Order: sequence, then structure tokens, then C-alpha cells
Amino acid sequence: MSWVTAVWSMNSAACLTLAGFYFAIWCKQRQRPMYLLFSCSAIAAAAISAFELWMLNSRTVEEYESLVRWIHVPTWVLTLSFVAFVRLYLHAGRVWLVWSIYGLRTLVLILNFIFPVSINFTAITDIRQFSWGGQMVSVPVGASNPWGVLSTISLFLLLIFSVDAAITVWRRGDRRRALLVGGSMIFGAILAWHVPLVIWGVIDMPFFLGFTFTAIVAAMGYELSNDLARAAGLVRELEISEKRLNLAADSANLGMWEWDIARNEIWITDKGRALLGFAPSEKLDFDRFRSQLHPEDSESVRQAVENSLRTGAEYRSEYRAVLPDGQIRWIVGRGHVEFTRDGKPVRMRGASVDITQRKEAELEAARQRNELAHLSRVTTLGELSGSIAHELSLPLSAILSNAQAAQRVLANSKADLAEVREILGDIVSEDKRASEVIRRLRLWLKKGEVQQHPLRINKVVQDVLKLIHSDLINQNVTVETELAGNLPTVNGDPVQLQQVLLNLVVNACDAMAGCDTSQRRLVIRTRIENGGSAVVVSVTDKGISIPEEKMEQIFEPFFSTKEKGMGIGLSVCRTIISAHRGKLWAANNLDRGATFYFSLPVKVSPVATALPATPKNREGGLRRTVGSDTVVAPRPASDQLRRGGHNEVATKFTETDSNKELIPDT
Amino acid sequence: MTVAPNPTVFVIDDYAPLRKSISRLLKAAGFVVTAFGSAEEFLAQYDPQTSGCLVLDLGMPTLDGLELQRILAGAGSLLPIIFLTGTADVPKSVQAMKEGASDFLTKPVDDEELLAAVRLAIEKNRALHREQTEVSEIRARLATLTPREREVLEYVVAGKLNKQIASELGTVEQTVKVHRAHVMQKMKAQSVAELVRLTQRLNRGKRSVV
Repeated sequence: MSWVTAVWSMNSAACLTLAGFYFAIWCKQRQRPMYLLFSCSAIAAAAISAFELWMLNSRTVEEYESLVRWIHVPTWVLTLSFVAFVRLYLHAGRVWLVWSIYGLRTLVLILNFIFPVSINFTAITDIRQFSWGGQMVSVPVGASNPWGVLSTISLFLLLIFSVDAAITVWRRGDRRRALLVGGSMIFGAILAWHVPLVIWGVIDMPFFLGFTFTAIVAAMGYELSNDLARAAGLVRELEISEKRLNLAADSANLGMWEWDIARNEIWITDKGRALLGFAPSEKLDFDRFRSQLHPEDSESVRQAVENSLRTGAEYRSEYRAVLPDGQIRWIVGRGHVEFTRDGKPVRMRGASVDITQRKEAELEAARQRNELAHLSRVTTLGELSGSIAHELSLPLSAILSNAQAAQRVLANSKADLAEVREILGDIVSEDKRASEVIRRLRLWLKKGEVQQHPLRINKVVQDVLKLIHSDLINQNVTVETELAGNLPTVNGDPVQLQQVLLNLVVNACDAMAGCDTSQRRLVIRTRIENGGSAVVVSVTDKGISIPEEKMEQIFEPFFSTKEKGMGIGLSVCRTIISAHRGKLWAANNLDRGATFYFSLPVKVSPVATALPATPKNREGGLRRTVGSDTVVAPRPASDQLRRGGHNEVATKFTETDSNKELIPDT
Repeated sequence: MTVAPNPTVFVIDDYAPLRKSISRLLKAAGFVVTAFGSAEEFLAQYDPQTSGCLVLDLGMPTLDGLELQRILAGAGSLLPIIFLTGTADVPKSVQAMKEGASDFLTKPVDDEELLAAVRLAIEKNRALHREQTEVSEIRARLATLTPREREVLEYVVAGKLNKQIASELGTVEQTVKVHRAHVMQKMKAQSVAELVRLTQRLNRGKRSVV
């Protein structure tokens, strides 16, 4: 085999290989048409090379004529796909040039098949043969077709298109590509001029247009290979970053998951399976996931997920997973939902973390806080013991005297049984009163889990006043209450909130201990604030003011302005209020004394909003004024601790809190 | 012991159930009882002539027990006061006793204790009344003496002899004897010793009654 045959065949084969390779790639990545275009270009280049080889070995005029005609088909394919490649891949080149080239080249192809021989020749008269590099090669001799100028123009347009595109790419800063694609095309266009020169007999050499195209194809291929290399690099980087992510996820005890909502399938990392206590190969869906949760948390997780699916908000929930061995693990799950264009949730992706330690620390902190609160309550109760003993001694005295009176009545031979019956009735009611005091004390001293539930703050105020009632009388302190009616409920632990308020009241009384008895006035107010989002309770005294520089210090543990104070009262109060997501602060009054405030966020609950506004509720906010400034309010029926006659003078009510029936008394 | 027809036990306590039960107990023991919810209510109907005693709550919201005690003392009341208190408040009980309280009981109070205290108080009240009657009797007798006879009385009680009195008054012994006889007669005294006792009673009465 001659070397010309060998080289031209190899060129063709190389182009075909490239074409096959990129076609295979395109088959896998249909969304990237440049691979197909490149493949077409390469096939066309291979075909052109093959045609050339055939021509060079051709011996008859007829054979040559058909070869000259048909070589335009791969040329057309190559031109079209090259232009499209430049447009799609480099995003360069003018559109009008594209269409001009397409139109002209297609016209050339049509004319090529209309004219007797081809667009280049009207007739091939002879085959000129000469020896080149030790091998005889054939070139045609004939009359050239004047329409051949169209082909030349199309080539020229292609050159302009390529130069223009190269300039655009160059300006964009991508010089390498500009040089490679633009340069190769310009180079090819220049080299293409060897064809007429050979035909005209100016030079003796075989056609090598196929190599020119191969060079262009090679340039294109080189560019694409960069893409592939980059893609491979990305894959590697992705692998590395995935490894890093896994490492991070593992070390953070992070379980990652994905929930295909339509199919209800959950994919989860091994770590995640271990975290939630699933078997390694177990098939998971949402119900199976929920079955692994602590019964108390199952519903809240479902609601959180539902909320995310509905609103698209980030999913977040803290829950307990019950492992197969019965162990409880605290998990925080976070994720986000992906939606289709029409807003249907498709999948949810997220991660879950083991927060058992943090949760246990939180619970421990809460336990200690409650412990401290309890201790502080015990201390307060100790300080109020005289007052409490008094509250108890009243009904007990009445019971004793009643019982002994009954004994005397019965000792009489003409015992008045009606009177005895009446006495027994009184004994029963007094006993209940004493039990009520004890129940309050027990509640107050109760140690245990803090239970926050919706409550009326006005009720807390009234309960505290009952608790400290006789102490206030002993200290000659007059209490006024201005309780806003129709206050929304807040979430809280009634005993702890009572504790805070009691502390503030006791402090206020202490601050007024040095004042004249007529000045010992205390005002407790409740009101709604921040546009209805918080309830604020304030305790105002007329005693000594707080030095401004100590305004914050007073809330610190073991800081006390009192001689006998331990300095835990206010710090415990602040801890309690913080645990209720509220705030506790103080401010001096303009005239004298100070006011302590605490705010609690309003509980937004259907229970709160569904409360009917009873007539009493509606008038609740009115200040009932009788005479000058003395307010006499009807005594609440359940006010069993208050001694008859005291409250009218000692405390002024601006509201009879009729809401207490609506909230279960704890 | 027999109870005089008129002594009344006044129960004053602002805590109605207790007031009621104490009243009941006292009534069952045979006392006449009137109860009040506050010191003010009691004062509104107070009659200095009434006999009996007070069972008074120490701590009341407006006018408390100690204040009422002071007001009654100022008005010359003879009613002994038994204080009832819920808390064993030592300073207050000391003050109450100093101001002449009859007794100081803590709640809950046993019936025997209370009744004994009430009986004692009524007895005291009766004694005080008796004393007051006697004193006013003596005072009435004293009022019948002429100024001269009064002077003679003072000397006689002071243990002076007629002769000494006469020299002090710048008169004769015979005149002093006549005055002395009038004094003895008007004061209804059988002897000088009795005369001394009567005047002493008067002085003691001054201290204890007014």
C-alpha cells in the first residue's frame, strides 16, 4: 500500500474515531448538542478525506466526475455543523452570517447536483497524473464552472464568520479558544486555496483538504476534551467534597435523608439509620419513620412536616426517637421542600442531628432552675410563715369554738338541734377554708415538673394577694390593683409566676418599710402591650428608689440591698421570666419609689380566641370608682382566704376577674 | 357563779365566722353576747354605763384592738378587755397588758380558757363598778362638808390631835371638837380608823378609776 493511501486512510480513520467517541458521549448527554455537531463534523471530515483518497487514486474521468460531485455532501455537512458548533459552543458569530452561509452552502449543494458535473466543473476533460512522493496521484483537468464562485463566496463568508466569532471570543477574554477555533478555521480557509492551484496545474501535489478539516475538527475536539477533562475534574472534586461532607456529617453525628414524597420513599445515610434506630437495609417511608418516634412527639413532627409541605417554610422539629433497645435519643431534624413549578411538593431533603447531650443539659439546667425556684419559694414562705399561720388559725379557731359551742348546746337537756345543725354547717365550711389554705401551700411548695399552660395573669395577681393578704395588713400596706379586662391568656406555670409576683410585692413592701404608714401604697397593674403580643404586669411602690447604677445589678445573684437578703429573689425571678420567654426589668418612678415590670408573650391559641366575651368580661376594664378614689369591688366568690371586711379597705379592685372559671384552677 | 342580769360580752372581730362561733360559745355558756365586725361599729353604740367585758381581735384592718383599747381607756370605760390574736405577737401583747388588758389569748382558743377569762373579766368589771359606786358615795359625803370641816378632816386623817388642829387653824379646841363630830357624822364614820379607810379608798379610787 502506498504511503498516500496509508496517511489519507489514517486521517479518515482518526476522524471517524473521534466522531464515534463523541457520538457515544452525546448519546449519554443528549442535552449537549455540541457533541453531536462535533461528531457530524468529524464524520464529514473523514468522508472528505476518503473522497480525496479516492480521487487521488482515480483513473477514469467518469469516476472523477461523480467523486467531485459527491464530495460536496460532506462539505455541506461539515460547514453547517461547524457553524452551529461555533454558535452553540462558543456563543459567538453573527446570526445573519450563519443564515447566509447556510443558505449559500445549500444553494451550492443543490446547484452542484443540477449542473452536469459539479459546481466546480462544467466538464472534466482529462485526468492529469503526476508522481508525488514516489506515488502517482490523479488530479482533474477540465472547464471550471462559473457558478463555482458561489462556493468560493460561501467559503469567504465562513472565513468572515470565523474571524468575527474569534474576535468576539478574544474580547470576552477567552483567548485560547479564540486562537484555537478561529485560527484553525482561518488557517484552513487559507490552505483550501491549494485546490484551485492544483487543478489549474500551478502546483503539483495531492489534495489535502481533508487534513485541513481534520485540523479544524481536531481544534474543536481539543476544546471539547477540555470540557470533558473539566467534567472529570468536577467529578473528582465532587467525590472529594462528598467525602468531606460525609466525614463532617459522620463526625457531627449528622444523618442526611431525602424523602421522595410522591413515592413515599425515604433514602437515608447509614449514619442516619443508626441515629434513628433503623436496620441498615430496611425500606423506609414516612409512617415507618413516625413509628420510630416517641408517642408524644409523633404528632408535632407530623404537623411540622405538614406545615413545611404547605407553606414551603423550612422544616425544623425536635423530637425523641425510641431506639429498638428502648433507649431515647433526642434528635433535631431540619430540611427543606422542593416543589414542582405548579407548587406541588416533590421531595424533602434534610439532615438530622443527635442533640441528646444538649437536650439533657437543657433539661438539667431547667431542673436546677426549678430547684432554685422551689428553694426560693420555700424561703419566701418562711418569711411569710406568720401571715400563713394567721390565715390558718382563723378557720381553725372558728372550728374549735363552734365545736365546743355545739358540745355545750348538746349538754343542755333541751338541746336545740337546729342550732347544732347550723354549727356543723359552719364547721364544714371553715374546714374547707382551712383546706384551701393548705392546698395553696402544698401547691406553692410542690416540687416537680413545671407545667406551662394557658392562664389568666389577673388570676395570678389575685392569688398572690390572697397569699400575702394578712402580711400586707400587718405592714399597713394598701394595695391597689388596676387589672386590664379581657387580657389574652399567656403560657406559664401558675406557681412560678405567682412566685415572681410575690417576690416583687414583698420587695415593694420592704422598700416602703421606712415610710409613713399613709404612704405605704402599692399598685399592681396588668395591661396589654406591643400591639397585643405581650401582657405586662407592673408593681409600683412609693418607697425608696433604686440607685440608677444598680438598676441591672439587682437582678444578679447574691446581690442584695437588704440587710437580711440572700440576693436570690430577683435573680430567680428573672430566670423564671426568661424561661417563660418574657422580660423582667425595673425603673424608678418620677416622684418616688420604683416600678418592676415583667412581660409575657401572649399565647396564641384557639382556646384563647374562642373564649366568649361575657358581659362581665367586657366591663372588666372599667375602673369602679365610688366616692373619691376609694374603690369598692364585690368580693370574688371564691375568695376564701380573704377575711371579711379586709379587702374593701386594704385592696382596691378595678376588675373582678370573672375569667377564673374559664381557666382550670390548678 | 351566778351571772348578773345585765353584764354583756362584746365580741369584736372582723372575721365573721370566728365572731359567730365565739358568740355562740359564750351564749351556750350562758352569757349575754353582742357582736361587732369592727371597732368603729362597737364605738358607735358604746354606753359607758354598760357592764361586762370585751373579747377583742388584736389585728383589724382600720382601727385595731390596741387603738380601741386606748380610746376606751381615754373615755374612762370600766370594761375589761380580753385580746384574741392569730399570731403570738410578743411586743403587741406586752403593750396590751401594760395598757391594762384583762387577758391575752391566742387563736384557736379553748372554751374553758376563754370562759375563765370572760368570767374573770366580768368579775373584775363588777368589782370596778362596786368600787366606783363606793367611791362616788364617799365623794358625795365629802361634798357635804364645809371647807372648815374638810380642813379638820385632813388634819384628823393625818393623825393630829384636837389641840394641834386648833393651834394650826388658830381656834380653840372646843370648836375643833364640834367640827370633828360633824365630820364623823357626815362621813358616816364610826371611828377615826374608818375615816382614814374612807379617805384612802377615795385616793385609791382616784388612781384606779379615773
